[in-house]
Amino acid sequence: MALTLLGLSVLIFLMLRLVPGTVVEQLIGADAVVNAAMVAELKRFFGLDQPWWRQYASWLASLAHGDLGTSWRTGKPVTALILERLPVTLELTTLAVGFALLLGLPVGIVSAIRRDRAVDNAARVGALLGLSVPVFWQGTMLILFLSIYLRWMPPVVWVDFWTDPRRNLTIMLLPALCLGTASAANIARTTRACMLDVLGSEYVRTAAAKGLRPRLVVLKHALRNALIPIITVVGLQIGILLGGTVVVEEVFTLPGVGRLVLWSIYQRDYPLTQSTILFVAVMFMTVNLAVDLLYAYLDPRIRY
Amino acid sequence: MSRDLDRREFLRTTGLALGAVGVGSRVAHAQTPPKGGATLISAQTTEATGLDPQLVPALSRSRRSPLTYNQLVRFDPDMTPQPELAESWQTSADGLTWTFKLRQGVKFHDGQEFTSADVKFTFDRLLEKSASGKSDFIAVDRVEPAGKYAVKFVTKEPFAALIAALGGFWGFIVSEAGVKKYGDLNKNALGTGPFILDDWKVEQQMVFKRNPNYWKKGLPHADELILRVIPDEANIVAALRTGQIHHAFIEDNKNFNLLKDEKSLTGYRSSRLGYDYLNISANRGPLKDVRVRQAISWAVDRSQVMRVATAGFGRLTAPCTAPMKQWQLPEAQWMKYYKPDVERAKKLMAEAGQAGGFSVKCMVIPTFPTMVSGAPVIAQQLKRIGINMEIENVEYAVWIKRWQAHDFDMTMNSTPGYADPDVAFFRALHSTKGQNWNSWSVPTVDALLEEGRRTMDVKKRRDIYDRLQIEILENVPHLWLYSADLIDFTQTSVKGFRQHPTALLYGLEGASIEKV
Repeated sequence: MALTLLGLSVLIFLMLRLVPGTVVEQLIGADAVVNAAMVAELKRFFGLDQPWWRQYASWLASLAHGDLGTSWRTGKPVTALILERLPVTLELTTLAVGFALLLGLPVGIVSAIRRDRAVDNAARVGALLGLSVPVFWQGTMLILFLSIYLRWMPPVVWVDFWTDPRRNLTIMLLPALCLGTASAANIARTTRACMLDVLGSEYVRTAAAKGLRPRLVVLKHALRNALIPIITVVGLQIGILLGGTVVVEEVFTLPGVGRLVLWSIYQRDYPLTQSTILFVAVMFMTVNLAVDLLYAYLDPRIRY
Repeated sequence: MSRDLDRREFLRTTGLALGAVGVGSRVAHAQTPPKGGATLISAQTTEATGLDPQLVPALSRSRRSPLTYNQLVRFDPDMTPQPELAESWQTSADGLTWTFKLRQGVKFHDGQEFTSADVKFTFDRLLEKSASGKSDFIAVDRVEPAGKYAVKFVTKEPFAALIAALGGFWGFIVSEAGVKKYGDLNKNALGTGPFILDDWKVEQQMVFKRNPNYWKKGLPHADELILRVIPDEANIVAALRTGQIHHAFIEDNKNFNLLKDEKSLTGYRSSRLGYDYLNISANRGPLKDVRVRQAISWAVDRSQVMRVATAGFGRLTAPCTAPMKQWQLPEAQWMKYYKPDVERAKKLMAEAGQAGGFSVKCMVIPTFPTMVSGAPVIAQQLKRIGINMEIENVEYAVWIKRWQAHDFDMTMNSTPGYADPDVAFFRALHSTKGQNWNSWSVPTVDALLEEGRRTMDVKKRRDIYDRLQIEILENVPHLWLYSADLIDFTQTSVKGFRQHPTALLYGLEGASIEKV
């Protein structure tokens, strides 16, 4: 994991610097009479006159001390900026995963049980649609339709959950729905496939044959055994959703980490971009680790 | 599998789904539109990159500056200079010294009194630190207090554009104490303006409180002002429709049609000081030849570009735009250059030895809707004379790097405009003393620019700039494409809002929300 992170840090660092344009030109602006001294002074101020490996080393050194650096454009510590916005992204992801599970699991199960019937076909077409519709389009369309036909849109002034839970959830409803749609479709498809596998197996037939209630057969004998691949998919989905929040946060203007990253890239605010992306990567890895550990709990055959 | 189970499972699933929808709609109906109150919410697509009125060149900064700062002089909506922090001013006989009498009893947000020391500090800092700002005050030698409530501007040469510069984007007066306290004024604001910056969440919103000691008695009307950033203008349109915001400045003029019939909204439309133009590098390949540039000018149908880029909400313009009233050429004199004439263009191309045509690249910034929709129209029109204009989509940060390096054939461009022709043309078009983004050199233009700067007599000045505008139209450094109308919408409950040709938010200090 440490090695992966190190590699990632190099990658983020170099990719940022390969993109043309720096904070210096933006600070000077399009209308200025530019002179070399001014450019040099700004470069020195941001340490951009140093060779890249030295810039990288000093970033790494401060990371080692737990310091994510200071944002160039806002002057605030990166850690503070992330912490300020993390709750929004986490809430959004959680709600989206919740929605995806709530919709995807039952649809997948029903689809498997009624294989090739109308319900199954409808569910499969629906899942395909859900996978294919881009998030940004879905979000914009939802806002457009609701505002025109119902004269309603989520409140534009942000309120966090603890101040006003009801208003907060009103704001979060559409974004979570949009973000969760593709995942719901994914989960439904995986659930259906895994359930079909398991439902055909001998122990399920035995369970049904010995007269267990069908509900028990499906939920206890079939679903539990189908769960491992589903959990893997959900775990991966959480990672994808953490990244997907960038688009959703932008469309719905939520003050989350995703918009912070996007803004920092546009502003060429290197410390903010690189530290925040690294932070998100660590979160992603943590989720994957958690999923791995969950296997052992769900399937006693797996031991680490 | 028995049917029984299937049905149950099915019901359970649909029940869940319906439950979710039910929750959604209940919450939705609990929403009420904002009633009249003391908080005014205004939305825009672009966040300010920083707030320092002396360091940040972006229009997103300038637009917000009048909320917290004042200038010595302010141009009112018909672009006439009015006393603001300066009560009156006069020029010495040689035209080298301007004396401004300052308003007394004005207080900064921290309670300190505004005096001549602050004016001196402001312009000392501007001339020392500000790359862009300095360019506006290029002829100013020094600023010195003349007592507590008067200040002298001494210039190196007679400098007729001083008033325009003072009332321009770089004329906002800062407090020495504020700069000392905060280092720079990018994240904070300390001025004499109508609102006090209370809180700023980047890419979200700025919250301003009413300045209770504002020197304009009775203003501002709103107790609180929230500037919300909503990057997608479609969402701003939706927010206006659903009554969630009180005011928005519309950047994509096509949206005017979407909103103009809404009964709950008041629309505002007026001429903009700024304009959109096509910038041509006059040192690149065939573009060096003035006949080629003239051919481009004759081939482009500006009305068509304007109709596509602004949905028809705009007007063609001379190098001086309509709000620069006293400087704009009589329409007959510039309109004749704008009548598309493909045959004439082809002839000029042939004379320049380019009958076969050539390829050029044109930069477009994807986040500027007028550039994105205007450029393909121009490309199509240029194809008629054999010029293959390839559109390069370039992100703003990259664009500005290449712009500063003069690294482009052509670029679509847009400017908020200038009140005075000296500021508008000198920096851009003087071959040696300005920035010369066109990389060109026309001696008659240089001479007229220098003469215009030195001439104080308004009548003589106008004559100089009339001649200059003709020279520009003849030599084609850029194509003045059109000036898009300024469009704002407010809820009908909002009274007293006024647009300003610069798109600066001067108009919010007088805005109030009528109780419904």
